[in-house]
Amino acid sequence: MRRHPALVVLAVAAVLALAALPGALAGSSADPGVTATTILIGGTSPLTGPAAAYASVARGAKAYFDSVNATGGAAKRKIEYKIVDDGYNPAQTVQAVRRLVEQDDVFAVFNTLGTEHNLAIRPYLNQNKVPQLFVASGATTWGRDAAEFPWTIGFQPSYQAEGLVYGQYIAKTKKGAKIAVLFQNDSYGKDLLVGLKAGLGRSSSKVIAAEPYEVTAPDVGSQIAKLKASGANVLAIFATPTFAIQAYVFANRLGWRPLVINNGVSGTANIMLIASEGGKNKVVEGTITSSILKDPTDPRWKNDPGMRRYRSILAKYANGANVNDIYHVYGMAAAFETVGLFKRLGANATRARLMVLARSVTSAGNPFLLPGISVKTGKGDNFPIQQGQLQRWTKGRWVPFGGLWTSKRN
Amino acid sequence: MLAAAFADFMQQIVAGLASGGIYALLALALVIIHRSTGVINFAQGEMATLSTYIAWTLIANHGWSYWPAFFATLGLSFLGGVATHRIVIRPVERGNLLRIVIVTIGLLIAINGFVIWQWSGEPQQLDSPFTSIFGWLDIPDTVDIGGVAISMRDVGTVAVALGMVVLLWGLFQFTKVGLALRASAVNPEEARLVGVRVTWMLALGWGLAATLGAVAGMLTAPTVGLDPNLMQALLIYAFAAAVLGGIDSPFGAVVGGLLLGVMLNVLSFLSQYRLFDWFTEELRLPTALVIILVVLLVRPAGLLGHPEVKRV
Amino acid sequence: MSPRVTRIVGFVAFAAFAVFVAVLPAFINDFKAQQYAYVGIYLIALLGLNILTGYTGQISLGHGAFMAVGGYTTAILMAGNEPSIACSSCDGPIGGGMKDIWTIPIAGLVAGLVGIAFGLPALRLSGLYLALATFAIAVALPPFVKRFEELTGGGSGINLFGLPEHTGSITNLEIFGRSLTFNDWLYYLSWVVALVAFAGAWLALRGRTGRAFRAVRDSETAAVSSGVSLARYKTLAYGISAAYAGVAGGLYAIANTFVNPDTFPIALSIFLLIGVVVGGLGGLTGLVFGAIFIYFLPLWAQGEDLGSLLPNRIIEETQKPGGPAIVYGVILILLMFVIPNGVGGLFRRVGQLLTSRRYSRSAK
Repeated sequence: MRRHPALVVLAVAAVLALAALPGALAGSSADPGVTATTILIGGTSPLTGPAAAYASVARGAKAYFDSVNATGGAAKRKIEYKIVDDGYNPAQTVQAVRRLVEQDDVFAVFNTLGTEHNLAIRPYLNQNKVPQLFVASGATTWGRDAAEFPWTIGFQPSYQAEGLVYGQYIAKTKKGAKIAVLFQNDSYGKDLLVGLKAGLGRSSSKVIAAEPYEVTAPDVGSQIAKLKASGANVLAIFATPTFAIQAYVFANRLGWRPLVINNGVSGTANIMLIASEGGKNKVVEGTITSSILKDPTDPRWKNDPGMRRYRSILAKYANGANVNDIYHVYGMAAAFETVGLFKRLGANATRARLMVLARSVTSAGNPFLLPGISVKTGKGDNFPIQQGQLQRWTKGRWVPFGGLWTSKRN
Repeated sequence: MLAAAFADFMQQIVAGLASGGIYALLALALVIIHRSTGVINFAQGEMATLSTYIAWTLIANHGWSYWPAFFATLGLSFLGGVATHRIVIRPVERGNLLRIVIVTIGLLIAINGFVIWQWSGEPQQLDSPFTSIFGWLDIPDTVDIGGVAISMRDVGTVAVALGMVVLLWGLFQFTKVGLALRASAVNPEEARLVGVRVTWMLALGWGLAATLGAVAGMLTAPTVGLDPNLMQALLIYAFAAAVLGGIDSPFGAVVGGLLLGVMLNVLSFLSQYRLFDWFTEELRLPTALVIILVVLLVRPAGLLGHPEVKRV
Repeated sequence: MSPRVTRIVGFVAFAAFAVFVAVLPAFINDFKAQQYAYVGIYLIALLGLNILTGYTGQISLGHGAFMAVGGYTTAILMAGNEPSIACSSCDGPIGGGMKDIWTIPIAGLVAGLVGIAFGLPALRLSGLYLALATFAIAVALPPFVKRFEELTGGGSGINLFGLPEHTGSITNLEIFGRSLTFNDWLYYLSWVVALVAFAGAWLALRGRTGRAFRAVRDSETAAVSSGVSLARYKTLAYGISAAYAGVAGGLYAIANTFVNPDTFPIALSIFLLIGVVVGGLGGLTGLVFGAIFIYFLPLWAQGEDLGSLLPNRIIEETQKPGGPAIVYGVILILLMFVIPNGVGGLFRRVGQLLTSRRYSRSAK
């Protein structure tokens, strides 16, 4: 062994003790994370890594909470929102969430992003009776399995419901359509595809080609070439923003002008503008998508009080953030509902009561969601948002058509 | 029917060449660093990403027009490469191989963090240099040959890669600087004896590689989108291309890149037939890596490299 | 100091450390116990990697892949590999679930065999080429895992939380009349295995095997001329180090209660290599610091624990996304400048300085 191992042992002890000190026993109260004047919630967000573009969700939510705190908080409690980076790696999510629950003693885990990530922590949170509030993912399981996991609740419409709407739209408006699908090879992409097929049902329109891609793929040129070769006249892009942009670019290069359906995650104005390559890419024209949020770049909302509030909150509490990034709006929408819950929490602030409130929400005035979209949960209804608006990309803007669609899934 | 299938096949080949051109550019940078300094720079991709972001921010946030930003980026990247070598690599390059590896990994982590810290993770848009070139020369964006669409931008990318190789080859073979570079890499002590300023040669190698990386980034980003992960997925394919073609051969890097791109796409095309249906998209990356492994085991010098003879 | 005295001091120090580890949980809170459990797990992996890289001189940028093999072995054995809530797409050949502790030696064995299988062709590679090859394996493994969904659960992975085979996640463990929380159980499990692994490594390395390993590292030509079979010892090194990583991987799966292809990314392999280099190649005690470094530094870079020590303005800037990564990368580079031989090397230097003074004193 080394010359003076005793020294080494002492040194090790010293370092371990040092690392142990700041984490001394935290005080315990009736329900952790909530006092008469504060509520502490926590969540993970992909601040770095392959999904870093979605970090804006958490940033928007935090800005909203800060703005509410500036006017006294929710029911006199200031909301502290601790955001932890998980690098979009579920193993990191697990460790980070355990830290939030066991070391930081958060009242609830809020708006954690990612389907696999939330699946990884769901059993733990339910076992320890910690609310898993407004999960930032569109997997169907959040609503479908609510009986088994009562402490978990989703937020946005499920990807399957969204796919269903697209399928129904095609079945109704384009007889005999031949559909090619580019989809991300995970539950998000696959759910959209399942929904699409279900929506097409037994109509004359069919999915004739479906090409998956991995998030580690550098480009989807090969897939688009294959999809074009199938002879389809409709292209469904069930891909995240970077790859959705590529899909448009490659389709254009190949001289392919199908009708495009772009999923809501990538169907935002700033992404569409990048994809239009300064106006030279005409494939974007006529794209159909579904949305639940007000788009900051849409001139319709220039004087809308909700979006005015959005802009001022972002300017004041998230200086430097890109106003046109719609993910901020998503975060604020979720934060708005959360503040509503906290306001109703009152004196009896327990986690159990929070979940009771979360499962009996009737909120119609969310300033960040499209008008008419309500946030509703109740007995047998475990999906907070079940509506959306179809819109068409026309000359550089989204133009809505048809009324709001409603998913009947419970 | 057969003609249609053939056209689809050729389209996949064309798409493969297009992707391959991109792998080739980054692989060139890797090869240059290895050839001139004997180091594998794990941070090469991130340095290229940083250069691309600099070009983007000059255009988008500071109102520069494209070509001034392009050349300014090349210059800044060169200086950045030289500076990185002198400040970060020089203190450790004499020692243990592992130390250098760890240092380049530290660079990778720090530079990637910096890009996100400064510019956030949202996708951005960067123009292609070919847009204006094609405008002047009146070249169409896409050319159709027998049902196969060929993007002139991709042709341009491959042309640039080949052009770089020719320039580098000329540099290494015919100039005194090139000779000094090669000497410094192969035998620094003896090179010093004949008067070569070895440290500066090594720094020059890094500067060249950084500039190549910047070119790679600025040609790639218009197609695949600019975000902090631009080069991460590409880096591995670039390694595969460099190993396949020969880690010390610039021409090999380009050949390796094109070959790799085509091979993967051909496999993808063939996967519709029963014999190859085991090849799914999940296996695209592992296949590239299996190629690395097989080449390393069978002929480590790569297709165009010179086999190393170990003398005892 | 005579070798015998050194060895006795070594035993005493090791025993003292073991006692320290055993009583620590009584003084720290529950969550810290979980954190130190992870440190123990990393230590096991580092011990393995050190045998390969520090003692035998073979670079491996792919040790995370061996951890993945061990982790998935454990998960598959525990989940019983039938469609279940733990693993919705599983439909593999192995039925029934196995208790978590029994999966650990199997995880080590399977990983060890994979290591040997890799070691044989790897004999032909060295230096940078070996680094590239191991890097390639580490990056290639997650997609492979994803491809074979029926065995591995594909992209969604396997969830172990709440399985009856998984100790402690639902109910506390009753042992020796005391009730252990999940975190304490993880801590003791990891550290018992870690201490055994530590002792095992020490035993394996001090004899002929250790000398053979070091001979291979220092000069392959000289080793061969002295009759050391390169093939035998390199393959042995791969096997042992992979087995260690497999055990660590199995424990990691148990601690995380979850595995999926993203659980063992290339970053993990890189962190392990960092841990070995920072800890000090070729020595064993420095590795404890290596494990502490790779577990805690990312957290400290994010402002955890130490955040209160720094002024607010600095915290704000470094907490913007990407900031912690810059801090981590810069610290890593600086460490390579300042302590090129890692913490273990630092202690060796300190040790040398102290003893050399003694000699010069006695020379008077």
